[in-house]
Amino acid sequence: MKVFEIDGTTLTLALFTDVTNSNELLGLMQAGTLEPEVAFLNASLIPDIFPVLAAAHKTLLAKSRESLTTRTLHSELVYNYSGSKHITESFKRCGISENSTYVLVARFGSYVDEMKAIEMLVKGKEIDLEELIGRANQAQIQKHYKIPGPELGISSLADAITCRIASRDAL
Amino acid sequence: MEIKGDGKESSLVLLKQGAEARVFESTFVGRRSIVKERFSKKYRHPSLDSKLTVKRLNAEARCLTKARRLGVCTPVLYAVDPFLHTLTFEYVEGPSVKDVFLDFGSNGVVEERMDDIAVQIGDAIGKLHDGGLIHGDLTTSNMLIRINTNQLVLIDFGLSFTSTLPEDKAVDLYVLERALLSMHSSCGNVMDRILAAYRKSSKQWSSTLNKLAEVRQRGRKRTMVG
Repeated sequence: MKVFEIDGTTLTLALFTDVTNSNELLGLMQAGTLEPEVAFLNASLIPDIFPVLAAAHKTLLAKSRESLTTRTLHSELVYNYSGSKHITESFKRCGISENSTYVLVARFGSYVDEMKAIEMLVKGKEIDLEELIGRANQAQIQKHYKIPGPELGISSLADAITCRIASRDAL
Repeated sequence: MEIKGDGKESSLVLLKQGAEARVFESTFVGRRSIVKERFSKKYRHPSLDSKLTVKRLNAEARCLTKARRLGVCTPVLYAVDPFLHTLTFEYVEGPSVKDVFLDFGSNGVVEERMDDIAVQIGDAIGKLHDGGLIHGDLTTSNMLIRINTNQLVLIDFGLSFTSTLPEDKAVDLYVLERALLSMHSSCGNVMDRILAAYRKSSKQWSSTLNKLAEVRQRGRKRTMVG
């Protein structure tokens, strides 16, 4: 678990593998009864934390301007990370699904005891964020973010994703 | 748990000011960054001004990311803010090609390095043009050389647009040729080396270079006679 500071707010990230209760987590989240509220991200699409931080920055900016596109701050993070304008598709691909086992949990402005509650909630093995790069699914990332071969000659996967997150609304 | 980040996000240091935008150095979620702000023109009607500014801001973001998709190195785009009219980029460490060439002019040309840079420039422009992207402002100050890797990085896509016309590509090259002639004539004929690399990189080089010969005769603007 690691805490990052973004524009004076904090973002806490925790990475889990071998998660067995994603179905239950999905149900809680969709019912809006998840306590505390968090964002679940499909970690196989995340090669590095930087694009997540860029998406979080974008989310906080939208929040401060009262211009969230989705219902909550945390769903907005998933939507922003997807780099797409299709909300349902974003949640399907970048969020948690019934049989996800590899999940990144994110929460804004979190305190230590809240995060302890999250660790209790997710039934899985917590691993270090450094493991993201080795476990990312490159083929899936390239397909979802439409990253062509020539681009990878001059850019890392993480940078390519960051560009798409940043430029989504300009397209 | 440890807290990362330094909380200096909002500190902006002015680096350059141009006619269209101001460029600042800042920090973006822990990384050194460049912020380019298109300021409002007070002589324009406010609603028109904001429309134009946002349109150009988005166009620049689009062209920059398109260049990356074509395999041309540009700074990573970190954020686009249509309210503050800002773009946030990766901070690229290294000198501009202008600085390198001016140094060649005063301290003697390092042939090997010159060749490497010229080839990279020709190759990059060839890729852009084949992908239908015109940079629009190819000058040596809009090209950086990344320190350590010596990789060419193109910047400032503020005048870029998409076009597949040989005319537009030829003018793009012509602007560079004029810039090289006026700034770096003491470096020898760099343009020939760039065009040689361009020919290898672009599949449509022949129509573009034919057009370039035509543009050289008449200048950048088409003559509107008759």
